[in-house]
Amino acid sequence: MNIAVKIGKSVFPNPVTVASGTFGHSEELYSLKEVRCLGAIVPKTVTLKAQEGNPPRRICETPAGMINAIGIENPGIDVFIAKKLPGLKKTGVPVIVSISAHSENDFALMAQKLNAAGKIAAIELNLSCPNLKKKVLVAQDAAATASVVRRIKRISKYPVIAKLSPNVTDIAAIALAAEASGADAVSMVNTFAAMSIDVKRRCSRIGNFTGGLSGPAIRPIAVRMVCETAAKIKIPIIGMGGITNANDALEFLIAGASMVAVGTYNFINPKAPLEVLIGIMAYMKENRMTDIRELIGSIKR
Amino acid sequence: MHQIQTTAKVIANQKVNDAYYLLTLSAPALAKMVKPGQFIHIRVNEGFEPFFRRPFSVYRAKKGQVQIFFEAVGRGSKLLARKKKNDTLDVLGPLGQPFTMPGKGVQQIVFVAGGIGVAPFMVFSDILKKHKARKMLLYGGRARAHTFSMAEFKKNGVEAFVATDDGSVGVKGRVSELFKNIEVAPFTLIYACGPKPMIAAVASFAKERGLKGEASMEEVMACGLGACLGCSILTTQGYKTVCHDGPVFALDEVIF
Ligand SMILES: Cc1cc2nc3c(=O)[nH]c(=O)nc-3n(C[C@H](O)[C@H](O)[C@H](O)COP(=O)(O)OP(=O)(O)OC[C@H]3O[C@@H](n4cnc5c(N)ncnc54)[C@H](O)[C@@H]3O)c2cc1C
Ligand SMILES: Cc1cc2nc3c(=O)[nH]c(=O)nc-3n(C[C@H](O)[C@H](O)[C@H](O)COP(=O)(O)O)c2cc1C
Ligand code: FES
Repeated sequence: MNIAVKIGKSVFPNPVTVASGTFGHSEELYSLKEVRCLGAIVPKTVTLKAQEGNPPRRICETPAGMINAIGIENPGIDVFIAKKLPGLKKTGVPVIVSISAHSENDFALMAQKLNAAGKIAAIELNLSCPNLKKKVLVAQDAAATASVVRRIKRISKYPVIAKLSPNVTDIAAIALAAEASGADAVSMVNTFAAMSIDVKRRCSRIGNFTGGLSGPAIRPIAVRMVCETAAKIKIPIIGMGGITNANDALEFLIAGASMVAVGTYNFINPKAPLEVLIGIMAYMKENRMTDIRELIGSIKR
Repeated sequence: MHQIQTTAKVIANQKVNDAYYLLTLSAPALAKMVKPGQFIHIRVNEGFEPFFRRPFSVYRAKKGQVQIFFEAVGRGSKLLARKKKNDTLDVLGPLGQPFTMPGKGVQQIVFVAGGIGVAPFMVFSDILKKHKARKMLLYGGRARAHTFSMAEFKKNGVEAFVATDDGSVGVKGRVSELFKNIEVAPFTLIYACGPKPMIAAVASFAKERGLKGEASMEEVMACGLGACLGCSILTTQGYKTVCHDGPVFALDEVIF
């Protein structure tokens, strides 16, 4: 059975990965053998300088999901490269490094640092960062997305993945802009802007006032977005949004995603990515598929 | 591997008072690994409601069994209160950093507990049974309906002092009314667990008297594994996760 997936020149042994920001120290829970079952590891987004993150409360539970406003707490790219990356590389699983920045120059500086770090499978650009010139996120502006992708593509020796925000009118248009600027893949979707109010205190449940919704609650919207986008672009899609089991993941693959990421549900069931992989393979066997490409985008219209 | 995910069978779920329950789970591998102050992360229901797991300190761990002592306060804990013998629960643990074991030279060990915050001190006192220090528990509860027998603590050689908000049991007032029982002597260690204002009061008492100690903190949790950075609290060293860096912190480390 061939379940390997290619993004740019990088090959991933299988299509199951983890969404950035949802897979931290949980490697402590697995044997190395289990970690090696992942198609890729995507650690939490890093920025040029360390960020301390948002004040508590940073998370709250919602119906079939959660809202988070972590604020990209991270030690900065230098510490990441020196202290975290070596351990991740040692697992032997391809590492997709997620980066974000407040300016194109910072993105570029980080891409150069990653070039020097070596042996990375791909760079994922978390474009849900403020676009300083306009009052929107980079991922909400096709031109800004195109510009960042183009700049990083010129610098990076690794494939470049653009991670898209669902908080837009037409996500396929942003995906097309990323593709036209040379992106090797798009990752979709990030969290949906959301809030939850404690009626008793008449306060937001989130310290940052608003946050991002994730988990099974967003899955049907994410699947629709992947399906719409897959019909318009040729580069691979890494699909995510509320995946809890193999069936959920199959929805994304059938809709047109080439890889799938388990995010929030890692917090509920740390074994979910493993179960997803096993389930996908069982489904392929049952349906006499020998290549994952028979599955990807196989939605009947 | 430092922790495991396991399916634990309910051995017993006993109602202790109006609001508190003692849940006994069969979880041999877990029972062997647990250290005082660590917690387990329980999926109280299948499906997505409630969505998160719920964290509970380990109350006791022996003979292949793990106990939690909990208060039915909201959706998750009320569902847990309804669990019956032979039900199964998906449990993750043991999680978090345990209390620091007091060295041989320690002469006085003070547990300060607010309400259900007493839970981790039972397993701690089990382990400290042979420790020669004077051991005491200062327990603050709301009212008689929220108190319980101190017999098990006494068996472990712990002197128990109780205060209730309404004076229905023990001294009337907050647990801070009981601080006067602490001999202000060197070689004293304070361990606190309970509502944040109580821990703040303990921390300021300890600072005033120059005593050292630790506190077990609470925050809403998603992963319980240090992965989501959702349960962070502010400390003198910046934000730290309650689930992975804590829940036990030095008293002078937490910023209230
Ligand atoms: C490390 C740790 C150890 C704990 N040990 C115990 C224990 O031994 N016994 C016990 O009775 N309780 C303990 N708690 C508190 C217990 O986790 C909460 O009472 C429980 O999660 C409440 O869930 P609920 O669904 O009943 O309440 P809801 O109000 O429905 O909960 C809604 C959300 O708030 C969170 N939440 C509510 N209260 C608390 C709280 N006090 N602390 C953290 N999160 C909270 C829930 O997890 C959930 O995400 C502990 C908490 C932590 C962090
Ligand atoms: C607690 C938390 C932290 C996250 N942090 C990041 C991050 O640092 N970078 C990023 O690109 N996405 C981040 N995300 C978004 C996820 O990677 C994912 O796109 C989103 O949650 C949807 O998938 P899910 O529903 O499976 O979680 C985070 C999500 C959560 C819940
Ligand atoms: S609950 Fe996820 S980091 Fe603590």
